[in-house]
Amino acid sequence: MTRLRLVFILLFLGLAATTVQAKVYLDVYGKSYKKITIAVPGLKSEKADKLRTDMSGLLSQDLDMSGFFIVAPDSLFDRELSNEGIEKQNIQFTNWRSIGVELLCKGRLLEKDGELSLEAYLYDTFEGSTILAKRYRAKPEEWRRMIHRLADDILLAVTGEKGIMGSRVIFVGGGSRNKDVYTASIDGTGVKRVTSFRNITVSPSISPDGRYLAYTSYKEGKPNLFIMDLETGKDVYAERDEGMKLGTAWTGKSTLGYAKTSGKFSTIYTVDPTSGKKKAILTKEGILTSPSFSPDGTKMAFVSDMYGTPQIFIRYLSSGEIKRLTYSGNYNTSPSFSPKGDLIAFVAKVGGSFEICTMSIDGSNQRVLTSGGINDSPQFSPCGRYIIYSSKKGSRYAVYVMLYNGENKRVLKFTNSDEEQPKFVP
Amino acid sequence: MKFSVVFLMVFMLVCYGCASSPIEYGQKDAVSAADKTRLEQEEALKRKAEEARIAEENLTKARQEKERLLQEKIGTAPLTDIYFDYDSYAIRSDDLSRLKEIGDWLKLNKDIPIILEGHCDERGTIEYNLALGQKRAEVVRNHLANVGVEEKRVKVISYGKEMPADHGHTEEAWAKNRRVHFAFDRQRGVNR
Repeated sequence: MTRLRLVFILLFLGLAATTVQAKVYLDVYGKSYKKITIAVPGLKSEKADKLRTDMSGLLSQDLDMSGFFIVAPDSLFDRELSNEGIEKQNIQFTNWRSIGVELLCKGRLLEKDGELSLEAYLYDTFEGSTILAKRYRAKPEEWRRMIHRLADDILLAVTGEKGIMGSRVIFVGGGSRNKDVYTASIDGTGVKRVTSFRNITVSPSISPDGRYLAYTSYKEGKPNLFIMDLETGKDVYAERDEGMKLGTAWTGKSTLGYAKTSGKFSTIYTVDPTSGKKKAILTKEGILTSPSFSPDGTKMAFVSDMYGTPQIFIRYLSSGEIKRLTYSGNYNTSPSFSPKGDLIAFVAKVGGSFEICTMSIDGSNQRVLTSGGINDSPQFSPCGRYIIYSSKKGSRYAVYVMLYNGENKRVLKFTNSDEEQPKFVP
Repeated sequence: MKFSVVFLMVFMLVCYGCASSPIEYGQKDAVSAADKTRLEQEEALKRKAEEARIAEENLTKARQEKERLLQEKIGTAPLTDIYFDYDSYAIRSDDLSRLKEIGDWLKLNKDIPIILEGHCDERGTIEYNLALGQKRAEVVRNHLANVGVEEKRVKVISYGKEMPADHGHTEEAWAKNRRVHFAFDRQRGVNR
């Protein structure tokens, strides 16, 4: 983010006055909502775009992925609409209204002294008002990030919360016995391989402060859990005791929660790589796995087979009280708290498939969000409105993102191989 | 690498010495004492390198032989995979007699260290399957311990659903993948 010098300038001084009451166009937490039709006629540029970028294409893609918009196809615009100016006084709002466009995004791209400058406007065609007016600057090679910033700002202006288009994602990529950890932009570009063990590597997660990467790898011949300092690329903590060690849950700034299954008992530990302090917080017979902590750090959800099948439980950390959350079905796993702490996403076996579901933290209001296949590793976006997960249909695992109510599922493509266990990079 | 370079240098020197000695025959006494000791040192170095190479070769041969013998022995073992029901880590009752047979064989062949690999089918989550595979491998180790196989001979590794035996997506493929596989711990076996 710091590398990108995006400067925004309020073009109209009066704008603050007109948009400060930030009309919320969509109540995304309501029971239902209607998608807004938005038009993104091609961005105007004085010179031919040397980069041959498809900025309006990317913006349309971002707005579509957000789940809140229907992007009007270009075929709807006649020549008059396409050639119209970008300033408010040049726009015939009635013409846009007549083809069903509710919001109109216009922009002008300039290239000056080797820097891109994008002047962007968002208009409400019914009120003929300006919702957003901003200027973005970026190096030519960072045009994608500039567009993602605009998309996120449009989402902020319309829904009251920023979007996820500027986010990065961490996941496991690769085939059998050859899996490594990757990060990438959510638009599929900027793919970086973080590990190169060419072995089995699973369950990567980055600490909330962004400093550490926790993962389990067979690089030493058996599954051991490591915490890597991302600044140096060196492991600063390793758990090599016998057994299966898995942890993808962080709490506080940099405390990792992980589960170890070995012998008769399983134990959930917390460890802080900065101090190396390790604490056992729960021991049970059988399997314990997939701890997830509430954002306030007072509760921990986890999976246990203490009643014969994997079910999700919650433990109140101060009192030690444990409550069972899932009763339906014989397979409920992979709990993950929402950032507001009000929901838990999880995986449930429904018929012959494994579905992403959500429930309240008392186990009520269970909702099935996917249909068919083997879905795995749900995680909420930092804003709480999206869930990222991996899904296997047939032989291939791919990463998907959807709204937290299950609508607007979109596949994300990064590498050409299997992609599993995605998470948003904090 | 290092040895071969030294070896090559020595070899070249020796060739040079051989080729030039007839011409320089009359001047043999003229070879200085310093040169002589240097040559001797190089000779010694060369001999050492050769000895080390032979020792290394013998070691490799011995290791290969040991491995071959172990492999031969393992060929006679009744080490077939143990299969499990879906989402279960309980030994099926009809496998008990086979585990006894495997245990007896392992007791007779005490020099063979074993790895028990726990595997699962593709159904379910990656993390839970990794834990489940651990449990499957451990339950087999416990059964072997019950019939007298020392626990420390047996290493346990779970691969969850990461290494299916059958890549299909049918009941039949899944049944083949829910298994504990006996692997021979090559490293420990040869180096002991």
